[in-house]
Amino acid sequence: MTSLYDWSYWFCEAWLVPLMTPLLYFQEHIMPPFSNPAGDMARWMESDPGLNILAWTIVVNVALMIGFTNVIIVVYLERKIAGRIMDRRGPMLSLSSLKEIASDLAGYAPEYNWKTTTYAGIGILQNVADGIKFFCKEIIVPDKADRLLYTIGPVIFISSSILLLVMVPFSPRIAASSAPLGLLVVMAAFSIAPIGVLTTGWACNNKYTLIGGMRSAAQLMAYEIPLLLSMAGVFLVAGSYNPMDIVAQQQEVGLLGFPMWNIIPQFLGFIVFIVCILAEVERVPFDLPEAEAELVEGWTTEIGGLRLGLVFAAEYIRGFVGAMIATILFLGGWAGPFLPGEIWFLLKVYGILIFFIILRWTVPRIRTDQILLLGWKRLLPLSLINLALAILYVEVF
Amino acid sequence: METGQLVQQLVKHEGASDGSVLRSNVGRISITREASQSFFSTLKNDFGFDHCSLISAVDNQTAFELVYHFSIVDATGQMLEVHIDLPRDTPTVDSITHLWGGADWHEREAYDLMGIYFIGHPDLKRVLLPDGFAGHPLRKDYVYEIHEEEW
Amino acid sequence: MAEMWIHMGPQHPMTHGLWNLRIKVNGETITDAVPELGYLHRSVEKIGERRKYFMNTTLTDRLCYASAMTWTHCYCLAAEELMGVVAPPRAQYIRTAVLELQRIASHLMWLGAYLPDLGLITGFLYGMRDREMFLNLLEIPSGGRLLYNYVKIGGVKRDLPPGFEAKAERVMQTLERRLKEYENLYDNSKIFRMRNDGVGVYSASDAINWGITGPNLRSAGVPFDLRQADSYDAYPELDFEPVTNTAAGGGSDCFSRYRQRIDEMHQSMDLVRQALAKMPEGRVMADSVPLRASGEAFRRTEDSRGEALMYLVGDGSDRPYRWKIRSPMFTTVSAAPHFLKGYKMADVPAIMGSLDMCIGETDK
Repeated sequence: MTSLYDWSYWFCEAWLVPLMTPLLYFQEHIMPPFSNPAGDMARWMESDPGLNILAWTIVVNVALMIGFTNVIIVVYLERKIAGRIMDRRGPMLSLSSLKEIASDLAGYAPEYNWKTTTYAGIGILQNVADGIKFFCKEIIVPDKADRLLYTIGPVIFISSSILLLVMVPFSPRIAASSAPLGLLVVMAAFSIAPIGVLTTGWACNNKYTLIGGMRSAAQLMAYEIPLLLSMAGVFLVAGSYNPMDIVAQQQEVGLLGFPMWNIIPQFLGFIVFIVCILAEVERVPFDLPEAEAELVEGWTTEIGGLRLGLVFAAEYIRGFVGAMIATILFLGGWAGPFLPGEIWFLLKVYGILIFFIILRWTVPRIRTDQILLLGWKRLLPLSLINLALAILYVEVF
Repeated sequence: METGQLVQQLVKHEGASDGSVLRSNVGRISITREASQSFFSTLKNDFGFDHCSLISAVDNQTAFELVYHFSIVDATGQMLEVHIDLPRDTPTVDSITHLWGGADWHEREAYDLMGIYFIGHPDLKRVLLPDGFAGHPLRKDYVYEIHEEEW
Repeated sequence: MAEMWIHMGPQHPMTHGLWNLRIKVNGETITDAVPELGYLHRSVEKIGERRKYFMNTTLTDRLCYASAMTWTHCYCLAAEELMGVVAPPRAQYIRTAVLELQRIASHLMWLGAYLPDLGLITGFLYGMRDREMFLNLLEIPSGGRLLYNYVKIGGVKRDLPPGFEAKAERVMQTLERRLKEYENLYDNSKIFRMRNDGVGVYSASDAINWGITGPNLRSAGVPFDLRQADSYDAYPELDFEPVTNTAAGGGSDCFSRYRQRIDEMHQSMDLVRQALAKMPEGRVMADSVPLRASGEAFRRTEDSRGEALMYLVGDGSDRPYRWKIRSPMFTTVSAAPHFLKGYKMADVPAIMGSLDMCIGETDK
């Protein structure tokens, strides 16, 4: 299997379409010949463009499944690591605690021995419980809010974030897209989010959300430029925007006789990129827009129910995609000695994510004006220096 | 300076009377309402009492009494207790907010709970009770039932 | 963006207690602030007038629930002055030791509440974990963890059981180890310093004029400690100096207030060790405490937050005629608008948190 696309093309051609077309032909047979779209659909499905589109649908779905599963794992990891840093265990709801819950609900609690029960679970059902909780809550639209914008804002934010999952490859085989302008499109999609944040912040008719939205937009726009400039160094060295080319270039035999990941010649760029990605996905220490201490929840104060659950998921997706891009650009992507590429890729991504999580629970947050000062006055010159060093590297070697 | 000497010097001020020493570092004096402003500025500027600890209002049923506690912020911990008697029907006195900023809310609380009006206070309104509350609860003739209906 | 009034509170996740702060912001900068209190006013002074003197110790515990022992102690000192009762020496030493332990617990709760305001939620759990040790210690003589009703007029309720010194020593050694860890984590953190240096600055002379006392005043460089200046209980026999800190540019900023409380925790541990070592034998309650009292008396003590003063007037019956409470936070909150102006809205939790507000005593 050379790539996910090829496999799914074969799967559609050999299994999926031959199972679906007989029904459609039967429908065409028993119904009058005119205004009968069933046969046209069957013929389209058997042709090359149709198979192409069906294959791409499967590929995108698989990419989304992998992406969402990973995001759920990241959420679980965050809560457990946060618990351990705080000298406690974190969520412990899991399959082995279902018995306890069931007996409590059924009223048999006095017979259950609370003293000698050992908690064997590791807490994997907590995410399921949170998801069910988000489903059950009501979406309340404030009276004086702008209904249209209140609905559209989170949609922009969530959809642009989910789009990112299919644009970044996991390995040469599991790649949902191979656009020549790969990572540039990803960064463009990354940057759509401020529009959603500002729209929601304004539409809720609430001073807190307005301030939160403004702060958020200022922060995100300030950190776009150092982000792109630090990536420009890698693009220069690799010669293209395509993630496949970038990783391939890092696997070439380099300066000292062995392959060198981009982190070593462009360490400055790596640091700048990591700081800018933290600011872009609004994690601590840059999460003042949603700081509880002053603004309750920031721009998401008035959103509730499943919409809020998807907004939270979208924030974690952006963090995950940011770590994926960092791995592709600086840490060699899916390069590694013995294990298959996907495993190496995930290991590196989780390494960066665990660093993000530990950082979140160890440092306080920075004030907005200090964040903007950091972005404009410190990171921008550093990224320019990094670009100059990259140009030097390309010219000399 | 020592407390006995301090009280002796303060008693010479116009309107002051009834000076005594309560503890080794605490003196006590009474002053009339009219002489209070000049007495307090003397306290602050000449004797160095730079900290206004507390302003209490006491409801002796025939009159009101204001008890001020001042102290000097240094290692001696010198304190002075000043009593002012106010007539029951016109409980007003000059404010000392311009001398000690810390007296601001103490005077507001005395107004809020006891009904003593401080002339010259920048913003005399209720601090602990809601703004629309009627009556002054710490007075001895405050009756619970009537005011509860109004509120 | 135009100027607008923003309400922080009374329902707010991170204001310490139930109060309302209305700030006028111009963009991000604060131009005016108006604190509004009274949501927790329980008319303690009026209730105290119809209860007997010894019954009021249950009320004073609830004045500031974070530091309950010190308020009962202040009331008992004032009542003892009024009645002419002197507590026996052993009771005075026990009071001193227990008060200093309470001060450490109160400062730990402040630490646990201050760090989440800055964004570090882990700090809450660290502060509470350490405070648990001290609450367990305080539960041994008094039986309560938050509200003790332990200090009585004329002494304390019960003697310390044997083995208390060893337990206290173990707890304090654990805290010293952990405080070293926290100093590494917080003092050397660039982000923590960025949020705290130069924020909420007031000068020493301004602070004295506005009536600020306690750690907030000592963090401006003024060495005024009521345990030395106006000594009570066993403090005259203990050996200590007031601890002060100053901000880099003079006066007091959030970082010097933070450092001040950490240093005070170290000083309190030292005082506890001294008091437990020098404790004499004897009774823990005075011979006879009268029921009726007349006259006037007041007493001030160094509460965890500043100068607490209680003024009692007795008219010969067994209930107080007038009871006035001075709460240090009442005065500090009134001065807060002065040093909130000119800072950003994100600094409000940092400044108000660094003052260690407790609404229970502010609202009485």
